[in-house]
Amino acid sequence: MRRLLATPLLLVALGASPLSAAEPEDAPVELTPEELEALEAGLDADAASAPPPADAPPAPHTHAGPVGNSNPDISLILDTALAVFDGPPRQTGAHDPQATGFTLQQLEMHIAANVDPYFRLEANLVFAEFGVEVEEAYGTTLALPADLQLRAGQMLTRFGRINPTHPHAWSFVDQPLVNGKLFGGEGSRGLGVELSWLAPLPWFVELVGSATHATGACCARSFYGADDLGVESPADLLYTAAVKQFFALSREWSVAWGLSGQFGPNATGNGNRTEIYGTDLFIHFRPTHSPDRACVSLQIEALYRTRQTPGDRLEDFGGYGQLVWTIDPTWELGARHEYVAGVADDPLDPEWDADRQRSTVQATFYPSHFSRLRLQGSRAFGDAVTWSGMLALELLIGAHGAHSF
Amino acid sequence: MRLIPRLLTLLALLAPCAAHAELKVVATLPDLAAIAREIGGPHVTVTALAPPSQDPHYVDPRPNLILPLNRADLLIVNGLELEVGWLPPLQVAARNGRIQTGGDGYFDASSVVRRLGVPQGKVDRAMGDIHPGGNPHFLLDPRAARPIVAALATRMGKLDPKQADRYRANAADFDRRLAAFADTQRARFAALPAARRRVVAYHASLIYLFDWLGLDEAETVEPRPGIAPTPAHVARVLSLMKKDGIRAVVQEAYYPKKTSETLARLAGGQVVVLPGGTPDGTAYLAHLEGIADALYAALAAPEAE
Repeated sequence: MRRLLATPLLLVALGASPLSAAEPEDAPVELTPEELEALEAGLDADAASAPPPADAPPAPHTHAGPVGNSNPDISLILDTALAVFDGPPRQTGAHDPQATGFTLQQLEMHIAANVDPYFRLEANLVFAEFGVEVEEAYGTTLALPADLQLRAGQMLTRFGRINPTHPHAWSFVDQPLVNGKLFGGEGSRGLGVELSWLAPLPWFVELVGSATHATGACCARSFYGADDLGVESPADLLYTAAVKQFFALSREWSVAWGLSGQFGPNATGNGNRTEIYGTDLFIHFRPTHSPDRACVSLQIEALYRTRQTPGDRLEDFGGYGQLVWTIDPTWELGARHEYVAGVADDPLDPEWDADRQRSTVQATFYPSHFSRLRLQGSRAFGDAVTWSGMLALELLIGAHGAHSF
Repeated sequence: MRLIPRLLTLLALLAPCAAHAELKVVATLPDLAAIAREIGGPHVTVTALAPPSQDPHYVDPRPNLILPLNRADLLIVNGLELEVGWLPPLQVAARNGRIQTGGDGYFDASSVVRRLGVPQGKVDRAMGDIHPGGNPHFLLDPRAARPIVAALATRMGKLDPKQADRYRANAADFDRRLAAFADTQRARFAALPAARRRVVAYHASLIYLFDWLGLDEAETVEPRPGIAPTPAHVARVLSLMKKDGIRAVVQEAYYPKKTSETLARLAGGQVVVLPGGTPDGTAYLAHLEGIADALYAALAAPEAE
């Protein structure tokens, strides 16, 4: 079998291609069948004498059968919710409950595995009621020199803290208003490439830069958004830059601080640009001796946006702060407050001309690590008052990769 | 003026020491770090990622842990999915090809260990936290550490050939001490009456420890691994303890203690709280000896009544 496969391969590799046929002096010397056979014999011998894998474990005596298989980790996460609103919902997240009644927030299939010693592939396929979407599908390098790492494909940009994460890693049922308003219902996401570098410093400093398509109402609405204006020059791409730092103050106290910026063209006219700047702070306290794995975390993000429009410059800002207390493995409480400025005559959000605020509290029950039931209540106010209540169920099956801190 | 040549000679003598690069080892757990220190001695720097007080299933993947991983020559993991909830994102973010799974700088201790608790048939999450490859808590048995020590010394010698002989010699010495210690303790516990060698564990994490010391795990406080105790189950455990005269509830420090304490009080016994991992500055064998002593004291204690 090996011989049958090897012969055509050798012929393809050594045989004359159309190009070389046109240039007889460069054509490889025709090999005789004997020579081909000798080459094959050499290959076979090499394969047979290949050294056994280094450091092979000692011959198993009573070892159990091998656990491993080469299947990727596959998991399926169902997020579904029942919501009640007493006024206009005005939610900004695509996975948020948007109206009174039942919502299929998402059915996310996560598939991941190392490709080889050099790449890892991760894909998040999101099934909604009426279709499937490749939310993320990217490769990550594992062994680039100089502490560099490259990601390529469709991915959430690493702007801030909450944007690169998925709904099931969130502490609330819905997405912060500011993320939906500035980036889009699905957060900042696009097709492109990202390079990051781990700085050789005594504390954790990571520099991230990415270039992605500036289109998509779901995921780049402050830029080209729904208008696909194509890419004619590098100025038509959306650039994201971030600095992420982490300070381990002790085994119990952690502080993460990030600065992010996004720069790209917008759809209001030739040469008009949008810039978004943000900062994020995460303070986490977990007593390492707590048998209940209790922890408290405070997360704050603030974003500022400036847009050039024909004859004008629009500026707005917004942010949120959230406090989450994990009491024990089964209970968690959270509170969040948000503020998002309104802009008069905003072509993107013509009705969002006044400042909006929203206060939210949640209580979550985790029957196990793989299921959770979250009850959430919020009051949105500013231009109009809306009370809402949500009860969300999340179920996870399969092997799901761990989350970053 | 003879000072300068003398200083130069001194410098020349010091130079090879300064130039010698130590093997940088990162272990996920403090026990594995302690084992690596026994083999490497002064020729390696060893960092443990998880603190000894934390449940190794639930370590926060804090980004500062990426730094030692980024610089490591060798990553030692327990394996059998014990670290699956936190290590993989750190390993990817480390940007270090040497320590990626399958590389020379990646050592999975479970690959050389005789495994216990390997589930038969299909594994379902309704069974609780089952590790499909077998129970991962083998570091509580010094006999399980022996093949790890041998394989680890070989691997460290491969990565640092200049010190290979030292690693091998240290490993051989450590192996003798492990074997002697394991036998001594086993004989000590074997002298206890059989009825006293039955215990209740909180989580199914002690089966290697009990296997080593010849103890019989009558029940676990958790109805299924990782599922919090329910009243009905705890009542059943208590009636079993009373019926069979089981007087010790054994658990690691990082599990909740209330239920165990209640059970022990009602059954007239005591809770034996074991340290989670080898504490900083303690040797692996001293850590295991403390565990064995605490267990023995509880099992050999006179009747409470």
